[in-house]
Amino acid sequence: MLDGTGSMGVFKDIKNLLIGMRITGKHLGRHAITLQYPEQKWTMPERSRGVVVLLSDKETGELNCTSCMLCMRACPTAAIEIDAPRGEDKKRTLKVFNVDNALCCYCGLCEEACNFSALKMATMYEYSTPNKGDLFWDMKKLQEAGRDVPYEDKRKKKKAKPVEAAPINEATPVKEDTKTDSPPPDDKASDTAGKEDEG
Amino acid sequence: MIWPIASAELLPLFSYLYELLESTGLPQPWLAVVVYTFLAALVFGVLSLLALFLVWWERKIAAHIQQRFGPMRHGWHGWYQTIMDAVKLLQKEDIRVATRDKTVFFWAPVVCFVAAFLAYVTIPFGEGLIVADLNIGILYIMAVTTFTVISLLMAGWGSNNKYALLGGMRSAAQVVSYEVPMVASILVVVLFVGSLSMVDIVQAQAGGIWNWYIFRLPYGPIAFCTYIIAATAEANRTPFDIPEAEQELVAGFNVEYSGMKFAMFFLAEFVNAFTVSAIAVILFFGGWHGALLPSWMWFLGKTFGIVLLLMLFRWTYPRLRVDQLMEFSWKFLVPVTFANIIIAAWFKYAGWYW
Amino acid sequence: MPELRTEEFQINMGPHHPSTHGVCRLILTMDGEKIVKIEPVIGYLHRALEKICENRTYAQCIPVTDRFEYVTAMSCNQVFSMAAERLAGIEVPERAEYLRVIMLELNRIASHLIFYGVTAMDLGALTPFLYGLREREAIIDLFEMTCGQRLTYNYIRVGGVARDIPKEFIPKCHEALDTITEKMSDYEGLLNENPIWLVRTKGVGVMPAKLGIDYGVSGPVLRASGVDYDIRRDDPYSIYDKFDWKPSVRQNGDCFDRYLIRLDEIKQSIKIVKQALDGLPEGDIKAKVSPNFKPPAGEVYARVENSRGELGIYIQSDGGKKPLRVKMRGGSYCQLQALPYFGTDCFIADLVAIFATLDIILPEVDR
Repeated sequence: MLDGTGSMGVFKDIKNLLIGMRITGKHLGRHAITLQYPEQKWTMPERSRGVVVLLSDKETGELNCTSCMLCMRACPTAAIEIDAPRGEDKKRTLKVFNVDNALCCYCGLCEEACNFSALKMATMYEYSTPNKGDLFWDMKKLQEAGRDVPYEDKRKKKKAKPVEAAPINEATPVKEDTKTDSPPPDDKASDTAGKEDEG
Repeated sequence: MIWPIASAELLPLFSYLYELLESTGLPQPWLAVVVYTFLAALVFGVLSLLALFLVWWERKIAAHIQQRFGPMRHGWHGWYQTIMDAVKLLQKEDIRVATRDKTVFFWAPVVCFVAAFLAYVTIPFGEGLIVADLNIGILYIMAVTTFTVISLLMAGWGSNNKYALLGGMRSAAQVVSYEVPMVASILVVVLFVGSLSMVDIVQAQAGGIWNWYIFRLPYGPIAFCTYIIAATAEANRTPFDIPEAEQELVAGFNVEYSGMKFAMFFLAEFVNAFTVSAIAVILFFGGWHGALLPSWMWFLGKTFGIVLLLMLFRWTYPRLRVDQLMEFSWKFLVPVTFANIIIAAWFKYAGWYW
Repeated sequence: MPELRTEEFQINMGPHHPSTHGVCRLILTMDGEKIVKIEPVIGYLHRALEKICENRTYAQCIPVTDRFEYVTAMSCNQVFSMAAERLAGIEVPERAEYLRVIMLELNRIASHLIFYGVTAMDLGALTPFLYGLREREAIIDLFEMTCGQRLTYNYIRVGGVARDIPKEFIPKCHEALDTITEKMSDYEGLLNENPIWLVRTKGVGVMPAKLGIDYGVSGPVLRASGVDYDIRRDDPYSIYDKFDWKPSVRQNGDCFDRYLIRLDEIKQSIKIVKQALDGLPEGDIKAKVSPNFKPPAGEVYARVENSRGELGIYIQSDGGKKPLRVKMRGGSYCQLQALPYFGTDCFIADLVAIFATLDIILPEVDR
């Protein structure tokens, strides 16, 4: 009827219009597939890439970071800022680790570059804020955010505990927080840069 | 004739009020003014709530068709969401374009709103629940609902915006085209009843479902179909919502309106949808007639059924193009409805009543 | 009575307009409701992606290409990786190629489902949009499960793919594909035979094949005009030649054919993914590539067929770890430049239909 076809066209058109009504009518009785967001949430898949967090050792509670700077170099948007000056014994001490989440593009390259399970893109995604400055996360905040994040430890398990205890004392904590410092720096870090897949 | 009015024409509540005021010795013109103001306030209040309810209902229907929840926050399934929306719109800044035509821009939503409500003077919500049983009831409704198009033209012109102007022009062309098949479909029933009064039309369908005109008249279903198509166009709803087609004209005639002025257009649209559904119920579905339940419940229930049909149209079909809309009206609907009138007239002439 | 005078007027469609799919601005010269002239104005979404890529290493470029054409970001990853692999002569393991094909085709389905919904919405039918996105959600969930993101995947890398698929991927993928196959009848029932849909799309915005070829239009839009040209078959990349499928071609070149060809392609893609899932071999998922690898000096142009036509990347290398010059070529750009030549002399509502069925996305135009 709409395109000016003959009388039989009218009945065909009406039939086809009714088919459309049947489909929408059928859905009318179905249950919604969406969620009521703040009350209900999807469980994010394990690999979901949310905000970057710093991981801590499960036993000692110290950061896994060895200040190798691989993540900083891998980042395409320069969202990661690390300052880890070399001490007298040529070992790096992690002083500053900032992530500007406003710059972060959530590509996950830093997580892949890291060979020491020092940082991870957690499944956390609710950190929006009206204040842009709040998106700038410093080391303390990153560590707090990563405290309960489960992860698979990629570090070699052969580490000797007593050796680890020594360098902690000479490190000067940035704030009164007791556990912001790094485990002993591993200079092999940069050698293993090529291995970025984790299977 | 506004006054003097006879108390018997009014609702029982207002007859009581009328007699009460009469006993205080209020002179006649003022008496009528007071009583009619009460009536207008009642109709206005009920219809505003009805329109708000329809907005909420449409949102829920749309959501469930699309497997969403729709409004869920305010009350049970968000039942007072639209009231909150209206309150929000009341508080919003009334943005006025600097280049507008001041008078036309201001009065457009008012005309739209008033025109939408004027129809309810002669719509019987139930047995005896009618403001005034005019003997030209349906003609009056056709006349005042067409006022809407003037308001849309005013809005389109007054906004001084090309999208709005296109929307206003479209709506004028559309309403003029669809008025013809709509009136022609109504005439079929009027021809049979022999009266233009809404109450008479409803009374003629008393006594069971088979007396409803959609079933009783052999040409009733066709008249109903053409009526509902034309009514969808009259109420500016998809698939005929070209005046405000948001994908083409952004928002059409109301693109420059904000705050309560926009809300007035919005509510008027839903009041119009309710009006055309109510007329459909009165003409084809026996008005307030029904068993057991009170008459106004039957009326509202049936009207909501027709509104549901309009909503299903809206959320199922794409939109027609402006020239196709005209073609469909003049080349298809008008011939069909006119043929229907001729058939109806033949039936009437031959005396084949059943 | 004086003669009535009419005049043409200009109307600004966009950059803020619901149906320009982003921030395209069309300056329309109108004669009443009829369009006399279209003048696209682009550049509102220019982010200098090419220049950004020239200042990043090859590995860092991949997240940037995600932003190039974000509706099918997988194919952007793929074309950049392909270009870099050809430049450096890297062999991709077979399992990685299979995974790539699976992801590319799933992404094509997702893109066409968006097309289905958005086109229907532009023509006024609001419900198909939600139905299209509902099934797309299942595919996006598969991506998120595999690579961790829903839109900017960063999954296909130089030398392979970033991660292997999780164990539950294959059953879930089969399930999603079966759901889509089942829901296709709903999609078709809502629109294909609907008389309103037919009058709105049939015979509207016919693009002649010659015009399309002249302006570099490719992909489904060109195939709807009867040109049997599909890069997946005519310039085979990855392992598309191993699967049994055929490009869908239609003859009329109007909006309806452009719409139908997308539905056909969904079916073909489902076929390809099912075959790839069945034939998925074991093995490595990535060749050994250093993140700072330096390809030899030279230049390369790689192209893939994505859901908007030919998506190409030209890389010039001077032997350093960053590309010297990157040029991105998107299908949307060519479709937009052809629009003024066949989109005129129709109603403004038709222009919306044409624009929707061209399936232009603006980040690809503006880069």
